[in-house]
Amino acid sequence: MPVEITGAPKSSWADEVGEELDPPYEAVTDENGVKTVIEYIVNDDGKKVKVTRKIKKTLITERVNKAAAERKKWAKFGEEQGKKPGPDLSTTSVGEQIFLKLSSTGKSVETVEDIEITKKKLLGKKILCRICKGDHFTTKCPYKDTLPPLDELHIQESKEPSTAEPVQVEAQGSGKYVPPSLRGDRKPTGDSPYKERRDDATIRVTNLSEDTTESDIHELFRHFGSISRVYLARDHQTNMCKGFAFVSFQNRDDAGKALASLNGYGYDNLILRVEWAKSSSSSSS
Amino acid sequence: MRPILLQGHTRSLTQIKYNREGDLLFSAAKDHVVNVWFSHNGERLGTYNGHVGAVWTVDVNSASKLLLSGSADNTAKLWDVRTGKCLHTWEFHTAVKRVAFSEDDTMALAVTEQQMGYQGAVAILKIDSVLEAGEQDEPFVISPEPTKAMVAAWGYLNKYIIIGHKDGMISQYDWKTGEKLTSKHPHSDVITDLQMSPDRTYFATSSKDKSAQLFESNTLNPLKKYVTDCPLNSASITPIQDFIIVGGGQDAMQVTTTSMRQGKFECRFWHKILEEEVGRVKGHFGPINTIAVHPDGKSFSSGGEDGYIRVHHFDEDYFKFTYPEFQHIGA
Repeated sequence: MPVEITGAPKSSWADEVGEELDPPYEAVTDENGVKTVIEYIVNDDGKKVKVTRKIKKTLITERVNKAAAERKKWAKFGEEQGKKPGPDLSTTSVGEQIFLKLSSTGKSVETVEDIEITKKKLLGKKILCRICKGDHFTTKCPYKDTLPPLDELHIQESKEPSTAEPVQVEAQGSGKYVPPSLRGDRKPTGDSPYKERRDDATIRVTNLSEDTTESDIHELFRHFGSISRVYLARDHQTNMCKGFAFVSFQNRDDAGKALASLNGYGYDNLILRVEWAKSSSSSSS
Repeated sequence: MRPILLQGHTRSLTQIKYNREGDLLFSAAKDHVVNVWFSHNGERLGTYNGHVGAVWTVDVNSASKLLLSGSADNTAKLWDVRTGKCLHTWEFHTAVKRVAFSEDDTMALAVTEQQMGYQGAVAILKIDSVLEAGEQDEPFVISPEPTKAMVAAWGYLNKYIIIGHKDGMISQYDWKTGEKLTSKHPHSDVITDLQMSPDRTYFATSSKDKSAQLFESNTLNPLKKYVTDCPLNSASITPIQDFIIVGGGQDAMQVTTTSMRQGKFECRFWHKILEEEVGRVKGHFGPINTIAVHPDGKSFSSGGEDGYIRVHHFDEDYFKFTYPEFQHIGA
């Protein structure tokens, strides 16, 4: 970001001498290997601007096929003719970070036996899906993804019958539970952008030291299971850790394990506090 | 992962293709120009200018020396990959919807559209004789029955060609005699893509009937079926992990009537063997027209109706993923 530091394009000789005395650039490398380069350049309007760039270099060695290596030296042609090597910003850009979360949807996990066992347990009770009113669990509802997620919270709760309110499996009677949003003639509302966000395997880590990084968190938690997301709160100005982070696991059991073993763990001379992330089910922790 | 966005095309993508080593990515779009990119960083190496109609299809030979493209200007063109020079042009009566090099690169097939009173056909082009002698006699033509061919590919060792039809039928043809060997009718709507496995012993099809399927090449026996909730435009087989990547979305003409969420413009990962969806990759603003997987299985690309190509390099945990049920086998 250019920051204007002198206003007048032409000034006295003393200023010009002063300008020459300015170092052409300053380079500072911090402990993370991030090099900060500060340059003073004169822009098109004749104003002097300060340009700060932060560069981090990582050396990656890659083996490529001989023919492919040969092709890297090819001259550009067609509309690219004469252009310098390297990606052109007009045609190539880097998109936003996206996550490919691989997980089994569990269709094949449930064997016939499992189904039999659950059926026995629920003998005498009527199973009712709250989404489509069919005789299966709400979590197994084929319309789960297409209908609104208004009761997502309840779906998650229903996975832990010990704590959840007993709305899922209820004796069929007059008091059939209908979510408030679906009572009366109200129709399911439209999509919510957050519907896919699942927080049930997310834990909150607090009392982290200032210089904790994402990779530290990864390092600390990856023994418990595969991590789908780490969010480390950073100060906007200093880019230092604000002291808390959220860690999402692929499955809830792993998160539970991490929670049990790392709560009260001494890390960087601070005692970590680990708890379930509030947004899902604060009551369960 | 951070996808690389390639914006070299001004109109929607029609087909993308990696070369054999996977370092180059060729893309065809409706804007008349074929582009070639370095797949590792998204740098554009060059363009192949010369078509005067939408380019429907592109294929590169195994040595990455020759490129074949088929266009709505009723021609198929042969290009020098390195310089972008057009080496030969075949003229047809109708648009060329699909081209593919044979396994030994001596021949190629070109699927032509059924238009203006002309029958849809599959022409067998002799690449070798064109390069040596220049002009050549009329290419041998197969007339697929009963409905026109949409896509086609060569079987292993050039034994036969496999054609995907408009009505969802797949058939095997002898390319020397033009005879139909076998056929099956597994899909109920247009077949939009047909991609061979690396050894060509099986192949994946995608169809507007919202499903993708896997077939054995020799017998056309169905092996697997992946049923989704939106019309599919492409299906690709991944090495390393046993996945199939399928992509599609509602028709381009209906896109403006719905929100992006409902459009289902995602690349879906299905487990090849268990026939179960395992993940999705979002990003396109329109239907996905074409998907290609890097031959080493470490990245894949998708081209959409929105004119973008998105090149995705998989994260570390993609390779570590195993099914909970399979973990004891892997360990």
